[in-house]
Amino acid sequence: MEEFFQQLTNGLAVGGIYALIALGYTMVYGVLKLINFAHGDLFTYGAYLGLTLLTSLALTDRLGFVAGVLVLALMVMGLVAVLGAILERAAYRPLRESPRLSAVVSALGASIFLQNTLMLIYGARFQVYPDHILPAATLNIFGLYLPLMRVLIVLASVVMMVALYLFIQKTKIGTAIRAAAIDQGAARLMGIDVNRVIMLVFLVGPALGGAAGLMVGLYYGQINFTMGWVYGMKAFTAAILGGIGNIPGAMVGGLLLGVIEALGAAYISIAWKDAIAFCVLILILIVRPTGLLGERVADKV
Amino acid sequence: MKQKLLALAVAVGLVVGAAAQAADTVKIGLMAPLTGSWASEGQGMKKIVELLAEQQNAKGGVLGKQIEIVTEDDGGDPRTASLAAQRLTTKGVAAVVGTYGSSVTEASQAIYDEAKIPQIANGSTAIRLTEKGFKHFFRTAPRDDEQGRMAAQTIDKLGFKTVAILHDSTSYAKGLADEANALLKKKGTNVVFFDALTPGERDYTTILTKLKSANPDVVLFTGYFPEAGLLLRQKKDMNWKVPFIGGDATNNSDLVKIAGKEAAEGYYFLSPPQPQDLDTADAKAFLAGYQKKYNEMPASIWAVLAGDGFQVMVAGIAGAKSTDSAKIADYLHKDLKGYAGLTGSLSFDAKGDREGEVYRVYQVDAEGKFIMQK
Repeated sequence: MEEFFQQLTNGLAVGGIYALIALGYTMVYGVLKLINFAHGDLFTYGAYLGLTLLTSLALTDRLGFVAGVLVLALMVMGLVAVLGAILERAAYRPLRESPRLSAVVSALGASIFLQNTLMLIYGARFQVYPDHILPAATLNIFGLYLPLMRVLIVLASVVMMVALYLFIQKTKIGTAIRAAAIDQGAARLMGIDVNRVIMLVFLVGPALGGAAGLMVGLYYGQINFTMGWVYGMKAFTAAILGGIGNIPGAMVGGLLLGVIEALGAAYISIAWKDAIAFCVLILILIVRPTGLLGERVADKV
Repeated sequence: MKQKLLALAVAVGLVVGAAAQAADTVKIGLMAPLTGSWASEGQGMKKIVELLAEQQNAKGGVLGKQIEIVTEDDGGDPRTASLAAQRLTTKGVAAVVGTYGSSVTEASQAIYDEAKIPQIANGSTAIRLTEKGFKHFFRTAPRDDEQGRMAAQTIDKLGFKTVAILHDSTSYAKGLADEANALLKKKGTNVVFFDALTPGERDYTTILTKLKSANPDVVLFTGYFPEAGLLLRQKKDMNWKVPFIGGDATNNSDLVKIAGKEAAEGYYFLSPPQPQDLDTADAKAFLAGYQKKYNEMPASIWAVLAGDGFQVMVAGIAGAKSTDSAKIADYLHKDLKGYAGLTGSLSFDAKGDREGEVYRVYQVDAEGKFIMQK
């Protein structure tokens, strides 16, 4: 039983990261019906920018751990958000009226471009976050070892997800985003500037992805330029699992995928972990083709 | 037309020149990846073999003649290698040293065998290379299954009774894990866990939690350094103090960077010795000479093994008192026993594989340095 709870927390920590990245996929899909394959690479940029800012500005030395990491997170989120907006402007907006497939190809191209740019700047070797930045405290709750950082990662993901949910549901801008997601033409007729909504989506999604990248860098330490691929695929799966285009769906899908992986590995086979996760995905899609919380039918792409 | 004539004239000149020299030198071919992704290995091989040839010539060469090294670039690529091998066979070499990658060596084996030229590979560890029955093929590198044997022996020697084995499903890591598993079971060691992780991920706590519940004395991880580093780091976060042993794919200084010094301390791994750890008097003298001539240390042990290959071939020619390939091969198979090479003693079995142990046990110290265990 103890092992079960330990594995459950392991799964939740991984799932929290998946969920944060999945939000970026699902928001873009909701508004544009486009799978932004470059999203995983924006996540990687978050990790690399975090490393560069952390070491060059020595934030945690100057401001202490809590304030330093908060400032760092805001800076990384801001920079990756700008990068996301540039990506939209350069790679997707010119293709807004083109067939959907063109935009998908453009997304794949942007992914390759971003990944290799990173390799040229930082080199192909693994980069490592400096040691001893984080408090290495481990909480011991009823015999469960929970490194403090894992708890903080899950908490930070949840806080960001709840903030996003409230932003989308309760504010005027959020309403505009939802309107544009339902029907762009009608939204435009109601006086909503759809281009600005899309730009906003490309600011918020990558910002969350960048934050996830920073958390992965801070906690796991080791980053490399291809890591966005694995995380991107998993997060994309999580978005489908929860119902792509649906924001609470991405959160549920991410956490669920993490837990399925952890429990599958623990009780069936480690080597078959991914296969188990994808089997569950297939089963869920057979029963609910639109994903767990999806309402609209994902008919394109 | 003029250019063609010129090229022809140059070519004829070269051939005539080479033929004129052939009489008073013994030629030894070197096939090495001088370009391509393994270029640093190939350049190291060339430097080492040239230095050793220079030293041997200063001592009078072999069979009373000077040694001439004929170098061809295999580009680290099987197709380029087969062309390089064909060129070398037309240049009258008595023996060939090289090359590094197993697939590259494989592409050249049949060519040398057909031309009856003894070949000694230095970095090619794939088992199948010596299972084909080639009479003229040797290697100074250990075979892949040698490492599995060494892993089982080390676990036994360190006194661990229950072992967990983890690999990453690559053919290299799985092969090593299977080999070690079979040997450990034969010795009666209790293997309580055998499974694979997915390389390229960041979070391995799920696997570590499962490993921990199997409660092994030691974990043998046969994969590569990025995953090993993360495993060590996350193991420390879990407060789990079990020792880890890894294979030579974790012999990379980035391992300590990824794991952090504290988490990496005490980690064991198997590897052929680092050039700077070679401790025989010959090896020390050679390294000093290398340092003096090139102002650096040899990049890797694989390049030093090419130097051993060269010395063995010279010993073979001297021992056979001839450059006749059958006699050289025969001498190396049967009469060369315990030759004192740079990387330790060298003998060859009937297949052309090196006999004796090449692998050493290393442990990471508190400073994050790799210390060879005696």
